[in-house]
Amino acid sequence: MTTDVGRSEAPGGAVGWVETRLHLGPFLNALLHVPIPRNAKTFYLGGITLFLFGIQVVTGTLLALYYSPTPDAAYESVLSITSDVSFGWLIRSVHHWAANLMILFLALHVLRIFVQAAYKYPRELTWLVGGGLLLITIGFGFTGYLLPWDQRAYWATVVGTEIAGGVPVIGPALLLLLRGGAEVSEATLGRFFGIHVLVLPLLLAGLLGLHLLFVHQQGLANPKYPEPRPGRPAPARPPERLKPFFPDYILDEVIAWYAVLAALVILASLFPAGLEPKADPLVTPEHIKPEWYFLAVYQLLKVVPETVGVVAPVALVLVIVVLPLFDRGEEVLPRRRPIAIACAVLLLVALAVLTFYGAQV
Amino acid sequence: MRTLRPFLLPALVAIGSLLVVSMAAAGTPADDSAGPSRVFEVSQATPTPEVPLETAPPLPTPIAHRGDATSTGCVDCHAKVDARQAGIADEWQASIHAREGVGCADCHGGDPTSDEITVGMAQAGGFQGVPDREDTVGLCGGCHASAERMRPYQVATDQYSKYFSSVHGQRLLVAKDDRVAICTDCHCSHGVKPASDPTAAVYPLNVPGLCASCHADASKMQPYGIPTDQFDLYELSIHGVQLLEEQDLRAPTCASCHGSHAAKPPRSDEVVDVCGSCHTATQALYEESAHSRLEGVGPKCWTCHGTHDVSEPNESLFLHEGGVPDYLCATCHSPTDQSLRLEMDRFEDPADRRCDTCHHTRSLIYSQVEAIAGAVGGARDAYDTALLRIDDAAALGMIVADADVAAQEAMTELIKARAAVHTTKLTTISALTDATVVKAGEAEALANAKLADSDFRRQAMVVVIALIALNVLVLISLRRRLHAQG
Ligand code: HEM
Repeated sequence: MTTDVGRSEAPGGAVGWVETRLHLGPFLNALLHVPIPRNAKTFYLGGITLFLFGIQVVTGTLLALYYSPTPDAAYESVLSITSDVSFGWLIRSVHHWAANLMILFLALHVLRIFVQAAYKYPRELTWLVGGGLLLITIGFGFTGYLLPWDQRAYWATVVGTEIAGGVPVIGPALLLLLRGGAEVSEATLGRFFGIHVLVLPLLLAGLLGLHLLFVHQQGLANPKYPEPRPGRPAPARPPERLKPFFPDYILDEVIAWYAVLAALVILASLFPAGLEPKADPLVTPEHIKPEWYFLAVYQLLKVVPETVGVVAPVALVLVIVVLPLFDRGEEVLPRRRPIAIACAVLLLVALAVLTFYGAQV
Repeated sequence: MRTLRPFLLPALVAIGSLLVVSMAAAGTPADDSAGPSRVFEVSQATPTPEVPLETAPPLPTPIAHRGDATSTGCVDCHAKVDARQAGIADEWQASIHAREGVGCADCHGGDPTSDEITVGMAQAGGFQGVPDREDTVGLCGGCHASAERMRPYQVATDQYSKYFSSVHGQRLLVAKDDRVAICTDCHCSHGVKPASDPTAAVYPLNVPGLCASCHADASKMQPYGIPTDQFDLYELSIHGVQLLEEQDLRAPTCASCHGSHAAKPPRSDEVVDVCGSCHTATQALYEESAHSRLEGVGPKCWTCHGTHDVSEPNESLFLHEGGVPDYLCATCHSPTDQSLRLEMDRFEDPADRRCDTCHHTRSLIYSQVEAIAGAVGGARDAYDTALLRIDDAAALGMIVADADVAAQEAMTELIKARAAVHTTKLTTISALTDATVVKAGEAEALANAKLADSDFRRQAMVVVIALIALNVLVLISLRRRLHAQG
């Protein structure tokens, strides 16, 4: 079937009117042509992450209309969003849950790519840019957590910035930079807000454009066969069978998005985002708990010396980001990559155990 | 009250002085027969005029000696005698006395500048050995009652005179009974520490245990015929739990009500002032009451709340649960002249600390008690209901901050209403319980609105999910057609 959108003999009406002037047809046509191997299995994880980012942009913009980023007004403005603004509770709860799901699906996306070895030649740069996306998304979580200015927000940020302060050499400077002073204060809230609603969205949008451009240029990886490399004999393999990106792949993707939307609606309705008492720098709560995706690091810090607990996660992320640079084997099937898979399983078990114990008490 | 006084006053003075005289003459503690202990209890329960106190003996002058606390003659030898003596030396070294230059010879006399036993411990040189228990109070007082000596330390100098006004001091003085507590029993002989030192026996958290070390000892108290269950009662009381478990230094220790140096059970007519020294607002309300106007014979704090066993008050204090008690005229009236007379032992059982222990069901006041109990109980119920609704809403994930605020306001009114019970004035109380009910109603309405909102969200969720499902179905059929074509 053909997926040609624009032809030289443009259709009439509004579309034709625009087409005769801008000749967008060939461009859109190229945009909708992404080589998708028939046996590619993405589980739509990257697309779902993209969808959730879209949800965050929309709900975040709406929240920003009512939110005030000062310690005097932040808490009250969030309270008013949830109780006075029509459907404010829904917007806030969806933003809350989509943030969590975004981290979850991002992790699954990375896992899928790791297992299928889609980070190998020629997709090293897609993975590298992805590493940037991962850091930015975590940054969203960290900066957004403070904004409600309740006890949990405040103290998690006190502890979180403290942890950043434990980084060797640059720690103290980093702590000061994050907090904008010695304490978590108005300055901290101001910069977290600015980073959360301006800096990170622009960065994410830019890198995401690059990421998708790369994917568009290279098409999806075939999980069964390695990509033929220049200057090496191409391994014997059946000819690549492709399926159309539009409408076939997109249709399935949209169905997946609907499923995630349904999950969001259910989560937001049954478990709306809560709010603890207003932040009080003089009252330290008994238990300070970060978001679930920081629990492993939090727990690690309890069992190893501070420097190790801070350096290890940073080193781990760096190793993951540069993975394609040292893991250059041609094999893509998991059973032919025992060392890589064993490392990943070990890492996942360690993360699960740390998260489990971090969640206690 | 007015008719009672002329008879009771001389009688009790007579009994009291008889007791004191007999103790003084025999030099033995009061025996534990029912007679004297009965008198002791009546004297707590009814406004008994004080037996005139024997005045404190004149202060001895502090021991004069050579050298000072830096003279090490005593410690040099004694620390080597045996482990006990070495321990004494260590205790003293760690004491506030050692720090402030009070040495061995200040209490024991002798010459601390000498290393020779024949010189240092020569009686001719003023060595006095271990002071008698009877002399110890004067020995401490010699310095501690001297405003001049104590000036640099900014500590009180009235312990000596207070001590001799205490039950301990009077027995020591009048009956020459040296088994009573003297200074060193609480403060230690050698290891004296300031009361602000948490390791001191007299640090507030340690005071109940300190008093109990004698007063909970049946063999020590047996000669005096006084109960030994105070610590057990106190430990479980709201005061005891707050002090001993919560380590809350604001909670009263034994000394807060009985005094420390002037230790003595507060008289019935002193109780209101004693409790009121902390419970100021409640005292003011009580003083507006009909109870307070009865003065000496009226119910006091202890009548409803007990003494050592004060528990968290609640609405059960109004009326007996199920069945009105067996009224005895003697519960409230003197058998001889029918005048009002509340005995403490009649209210020993917490179950008897109820309004209807005195106010007969057929009395006019009983119906007023019922009305007050109803108003306070109703306000409490309204508050509890609001809290339940708020909990329901919170359990559904709703943010209930505004309902919480309203509930807190209701609680404030309820606290005021409960305090106002001490005025015994129905109009005052019901104004506050009405305010509680109104505020609790607001809180409940807010919580109900959240519950309704949560219901709406669930229903809307079902509709939205149905719409999404419909969309997905359309997309799936589109997909089928696509595959059929492809
Ligand atoms: C905001 C975060 C991200 C978004 C929205 C996103 C989105 C996407 C999308 C839509 C695709 C197309 C295939 C699919 O749907 O799975 C994709 C592919 C890919 N992504 Fe991401 N991604 C993100 C983060 C990451 C991260 C953190 C990494 C790795 C560290 C990464 C590495 C890759 C790679 C290597 C591919 C190519 C996969 C293939 O060809 O099969 N991405 N990404």
